[in-house]
Amino acid sequence: MDFFGMLMWPIKWVLEAVLVGFHWLFEWFGMDPASGLVWVLSIASLVLVVRTAMIPLTVKQIKSSRKALEVAPEVKKIQDKYKGKKDSLSREAMNREVMEVYKKAGTNPLASCLPLLVQMPVFLGLVQVLNTANQGVAGVGAMSEVLARQFRASTLFEAVPLHMSLEVGVSEWNWPVIITAVSMTIFMVGAQFYTQLQIMTKNQTPQMKESPMYKQQRMMLYIIPFFLLITAWIFPLATMFYWLVSNVYTLVQQLIIINRMPNPGSEAALAREAKMARKRQRMGLPAVEGEEKQDEEDTVIENLQRKQPRKKGPRSNR
Amino acid sequence: MRTVLLLPRNACVAVLLVYRKLISPIYGDVCRYYPSCSRYTLEAIQQWGVIRGVGLGAWRILRCNPWSAGGVDDIPERSHLYRITTRGFVAAEERN
Repeated sequence: MDFFGMLMWPIKWVLEAVLVGFHWLFEWFGMDPASGLVWVLSIASLVLVVRTAMIPLTVKQIKSSRKALEVAPEVKKIQDKYKGKKDSLSREAMNREVMEVYKKAGTNPLASCLPLLVQMPVFLGLVQVLNTANQGVAGVGAMSEVLARQFRASTLFEAVPLHMSLEVGVSEWNWPVIITAVSMTIFMVGAQFYTQLQIMTKNQTPQMKESPMYKQQRMMLYIIPFFLLITAWIFPLATMFYWLVSNVYTLVQQLIIINRMPNPGSEAALAREAKMARKRQRMGLPAVEGEEKQDEEDTVIENLQRKQPRKKGPRSNR
Repeated sequence: MRTVLLLPRNACVAVLLVYRKLISPIYGDVCRYYPSCSRYTLEAIQQWGVIRGVGLGAWRILRCNPWSAGGVDDIPERSHLYRITTRGFVAAEERN
């Protein structure tokens, strides 16, 4: 076994255990174990398990960016100092100073690439697990040869073989496969595009929008769908289901984050404040935010946007 | 001769430059450190060579997680520095 295979072995073992476990569960519920639907549901359940296991990472991230807001005025001061200086040396000096401030505060608004690094081997592992099963060969753990053969033979609604990719579907001119793959790709690209658009238009602060990274990100918003189209061509339908459910999961998670705990200072945060104020008005309460913490957050944002003196008290008094 | 010896690290530099240009912008500014992990690795490979550079870079990526404090973190100092071309490749002559 090569080094890469050794690294992937435990991941594949866990993936197979979860996949087969859910497959067994659906069979126990009385569903036909050989049907494509059960396999698709097993894959979808696997996504739910993987992504739910990652929620602590996301929550940790959100909390730490909230905490980073405490030093926002300091960061703003540094950004003002370098205002208008667009050369790379000033940018670098500015970034260094900002990072020092975050470090001193013991917090950081950035996510690090760990969430992405965790997901990549999982997806790769699943591709390998499904590819092995497609050959009718037993996997490294729970995926026995019998199950692998069953998976290879399974079709969704007795029309769409799960092991085919769009490439194979086109070469064999299998219409159900082509239609399923194409519509899944379109849906996937749509979900991805919508998620990115939501994050970028609603959940970013004015400072974030000024950075050169933001422009690049905007550009990428239109490039990612192309990447997805190319990969959809190669991967079998079963893997595409994993991707599709994962994208939908991200979309729902992002919408919840944007609505419930938006990035302070972003458009979504202002919308949420307005909504809360309206709600309180409807209930006949003064337009004060109920929690002390919310109130403080509000003051800090006002501070960094318009440089107003720090005032405590309800907005209606200002 | 020295140019040939510098080939492996320049090959790695080329890969990293492509990554930084095309793939890195997809998920945007996420690194908790400054310089970012990819630039840190790039600089480490430029100055310390492929083996130690990749080692330093891998260690940095492991350190960069939601539980780390982040902050400014430069590559270890080296007494003699290689001259870097404007594109980022390592030139054979040394810089003082």
